[in-house]
Amino acid sequence: MNVQVENHEGVLVARVEGRVDSSNSQDFERQLQGAIGDEVKAVVMDLGQLAYISSAGLRVVLLIAKTLGQRNVSISLCALSDPVQSVFEISGFNRIIQIYDTQADALAAAG
Amino acid sequence: MGDRDSPDYKILVVDDEPDLERLVRQRMRRHIRGGKYGFEFAGNGVEALQVLAEKQDIDIVLSDINMPKMDGLTLLQQIPEVNADIRSVIVSAYGDMENIRTAMNRGAFDFVTKPIDFTDLEVTIERTLRHLDEWRAALASRDKLVAIQNELDVATKIQQSILPDTFPRLDGCEVYGCMHAARNVGGDFFDVINLDGGRVGLAVADVSDKGVPAALFMMSSRTLLKGAAIGVEEPSTVLREVNDLLNETNEAAMFVTVFYGVYDPATRVLTYSNGGHNPPLVVHSDGTSEELELTGGLALGAIPGFEYGQANVRLNPGDLVVFFTDGVTEAINMSSEEFGLESLRGLFRDGRTPGAREAAEAILQAVQDFAGEAPQFDDLTCMTLRVADE
Repeated sequence: MNVQVENHEGVLVARVEGRVDSSNSQDFERQLQGAIGDEVKAVVMDLGQLAYISSAGLRVVLLIAKTLGQRNVSISLCALSDPVQSVFEISGFNRIIQIYDTQADALAAAG
Repeated sequence: MGDRDSPDYKILVVDDEPDLERLVRQRMRRHIRGGKYGFEFAGNGVEALQVLAEKQDIDIVLSDINMPKMDGLTLLQQIPEVNADIRSVIVSAYGDMENIRTAMNRGAFDFVTKPIDFTDLEVTIERTLRHLDEWRAALASRDKLVAIQNELDVATKIQQSILPDTFPRLDGCEVYGCMHAARNVGGDFFDVINLDGGRVGLAVADVSDKGVPAALFMMSSRTLLKGAAIGVEEPSTVLREVNDLLNETNEAAMFVTVFYGVYDPATRVLTYSNGGHNPPLVVHSDGTSEELELTGGLALGAIPGFEYGQANVRLNPGDLVVFFTDGVTEAINMSSEEFGLESLRGLFRDGRTPGAREAAEAILQAVQDFAGEAPQFDDLTCMTLRVADE
């Protein structure tokens, strides 16, 4: 698992790669929390290179979404592969977190 | 006034109904004579606290709710101050959700409903004692082990102690469930709940994380679910209630995916609501199978106020419903391949579905054979409902 962060004019784009499961979910949380500074306007998580996410990983996404929600910072996900999309659909998280097809769509909405 | 000098376990029964003492002594006489249980009796909360102060070896308090002087709910709050190791079981009127909910929030371990079914009471007492044994053993070993390792052991033991190990005998169907815990993970649970009219509530669930916080979250999820299942008719309402209660205190953003269904053997209809859980598989006696449709749900604990959907399906004689957690389909072998849903379906393609127990055990065995030496990352849970043949 690897998280790469870029800043697009105040919108933080976090690209997550590899597998997120209970063995590395704490590390995943630390990396994301560390990358999200106070000045961030919005967060876009690009999951295009994410191969697998377990429920422990989903918890981190939910935790980040809740923390950001309290600060009125929006969060969205984009570019989900079919298996990852299916995890979000079954868990119902696609009903509470905005998901876009492409990073460009997500950035346009966040801008 | 113990029945013997030192029974294995001591239970304090608190009730203002004078006949209960005679009834308990009569129905539990085998265990009393055998030296397994010893009973003490108190007529209200005040008397109960006096007994607890005098006898420091009480393991379980079995308490009624409505009593003079001090009621059961007030007593529940006082017990941890006397002895934090005691587990309480509440006796409540059937369907009295308000009090059951308050009792659970005040730390009751379980509850039984009135009029007391002594077989059910015995199962509940046994489960509580098993939990207490595991809890004590885990705490005792705490000092000897590295803190984190021990914490995970505690989680696993809490998990094991709440799973049903006896299954109701039902007309027209069989139910079975089993779990193989991953080493040091406390995440899955299942439950089989007897409902009125010969119906049965079936729940399978997966908590999002591991360790002691997740195990405690699992315990409260299971207890709240059982309480709601008995008090509320519709599965979608059950999930909504439990979701709202779990959201009252959930700083860590934990969540639990829950599939909850009510099966009525008389009509063969399974009414269900899916709270973010992987859909169960229905296997027909000709070997074909399909997943149960999702109901527009969401994992419980994520956000409050969510309205859950509901669906129902009429099963056929010989159908087998397999409820499971993603540890089954996502188990990986040495080549990092997943077991997958197709392998699960493949187990039953021959036609002629096996019995509930045989099916559940065959599934877990197949997953373990597939995984071989590869480490098991997640709990494997499988619960089965087998409709009788025509």
